[in-house]
Amino acid sequence: MPAEERHAPAKASERLRRLLVVVPYLVQHPGTPVDRAAGLFGLSDQDLLADLDLLFVSGLPPYGPGDLIDVDVQDGRIWISMADYFARPLRLSRSEALSLYVRGRALATVPGLEEAPALASALDKLAERLGPDALGELPERVDAAGGGPAVEVLGELRRAAAEHERVRVAYYAASGAETTEREIDPEEVFFAIGNWYVAAWDHRSGAERLFRADRIRSLEPAGASFEPRGLEGAGRPLYSPGRDDVAVTLRLAPGARWVAEYYETTRQLELDDGRLEVDLPAGRLEWIARVLLRLGMDAEVVTPALLKDRVRGLADVTRKRYG
Amino acid sequence: MHPLERLVNLVALLLETEAPLTFEQIREKLAEGYEHQDPSSAKRMFERDKEVLRDIGVPIEVVSTDAWDVEQGYTIDKDRYYLPEIAFTPEEISALFVAARSGGDASAEDAVRKLLSGTESGILAGLGGSGLGGDVETNLSQAAEAVAGQRRVRFGYRTSKGESSERSVDAFGLAIRGGHWYLVGHDQDRGQIRSFRLSRIAGEIVSAGEGSAPPEGFRAAAHVQAGPWGPGEPRTSATVAFGPDVAWWAANGVAGAEIGSTRPDGWVEVRVPWQPGESLAAWVLSFGPDAEAIEPSELRAEVLARLEALGAR
Repeated sequence: MPAEERHAPAKASERLRRLLVVVPYLVQHPGTPVDRAAGLFGLSDQDLLADLDLLFVSGLPPYGPGDLIDVDVQDGRIWISMADYFARPLRLSRSEALSLYVRGRALATVPGLEEAPALASALDKLAERLGPDALGELPERVDAAGGGPAVEVLGELRRAAAEHERVRVAYYAASGAETTEREIDPEEVFFAIGNWYVAAWDHRSGAERLFRADRIRSLEPAGASFEPRGLEGAGRPLYSPGRDDVAVTLRLAPGARWVAEYYETTRQLELDDGRLEVDLPAGRLEWIARVLLRLGMDAEVVTPALLKDRVRGLADVTRKRYG
Repeated sequence: MHPLERLVNLVALLLETEAPLTFEQIREKLAEGYEHQDPSSAKRMFERDKEVLRDIGVPIEVVSTDAWDVEQGYTIDKDRYYLPEIAFTPEEISALFVAARSGGDASAEDAVRKLLSGTESGILAGLGGSGLGGDVETNLSQAAEAVAGQRRVRFGYRTSKGESSERSVDAFGLAIRGGHWYLVGHDQDRGQIRSFRLSRIAGEIVSAGEGSAPPEGFRAAAHVQAGPWGPGEPRTSATVAFGPDVAWWAANGVAGAEIGSTRPDGWVEVRVPWQPGESLAAWVLSFGPDAEAIEPSELRAEVLARLEALGAR
């Protein structure tokens, strides 16, 4: 949720929706600290306390002192009683149940996930207990057609991020097509579009970088801890424009159109001959030259001329391997 | 009275009532909530409150309170209101949280929060904070709904080759491959089972009535083809040599790849699954001069032909 939305006053309906979820938790977990409850339910402490303030004057008719919900906040902890009818949460809506279930099945396809067994049993319980009312035919009809590449170092990487531990990694950088050693401060590890990423401070370049976890060949503790810098991390676009970007324009025949889906483009134009013209900003030309080598005659470089030379040069060097 | 207080009281009242209550009875009991308004505006307020409750999923039932259907009464069906008890372990709840956050989809996170109350406390402390982000596939929920309800759906679709058309499809299943979701179903106009990548669906997936059941033994994944950026289904194998820096990465990215012997010059031979006519030449070329196709000879010849075409351009 963007910050500006979070600070707008919530509507009564939205507040009711979250109360019917928070209150059962608090009834079942007497003495929960305010900050813990707020964190779990994605609220600020103030919003939570404001909701509880109204709860405290609610209850059943005739609304005498013995009929009202009892809310007690002391020393930063919460006790709720006289609310047996709110001791269990509202059922999952169909869209909540479906979204959670498909996200779970998606994550379950990720190789090397530590949570895989727990996730599988959680999804089984969901399907069994919620039943066809919530999930319909879905559980039988979701399939994984092969996960992505396994990430050997995922467990260690996530631990290092959680414990703010600096690590030394061997990383395969597609931009330079080489594996290099560097020290990074891993701040946040997240899964997006089929890959694990780590947002980290890169000591080699002295800047924030986004690394793909499956390209980390090896990882070891660097023997230091770090203070999180509040990197933009997860949620930022996978490609961030840089000052040194070169504007590359390509024409893609049908066999090469996947490039426009796979990489971030800034412009797409359908041409009359059935090709697609795209602008694709690139920080370095090495990786894009290799993409073009792969595409062969299905792609044509419009600009820059330098890139055409690069591709031709790369083809010549590669050609030499074949005698 | 604050609207939130009125709504909480209304839910409590209708959950705890033994018999359905008419609006007049509700108005009488929820004195401060509806009493101080004139009758018609109080009724309008109650109608709005009912809508709010229905929107957030509270199952309000309307039943007649007498045999002649003169007066309607309201109640909340407890069996439909309360989440069934599901005993999750803290590890299971954590895993569901990670899943919910991997999609950037608020309703999946809301779902996990509802599941929290039955879980042991104390162990979930690490779950607060920001979400994991990730991409939002907005039409995933619509596709899931279509499959769950076995619906026929319509949507605009653009193929990987760039051709756009309207599709009418009986939703059979969902498959995920390489991080992308596909809706698999019977394409009404083509008379065949087809797969549709959700990111290529333009606009909404609209329900168009009841669909049909998938054939016996249907598996969604069987209908999703590999993308052109990786080798396809394994049948035979090919050998490709890679430079020392690159070999581990190349082998890591291909299911079924095996790292073989290291040559005296440090290059490593990798065996990868391959079938004739596959996209392997393109994949080999993506490594530039750091890869060399060794066998079969047809693969080697194809790589060479592509290089010569490019060099002659």
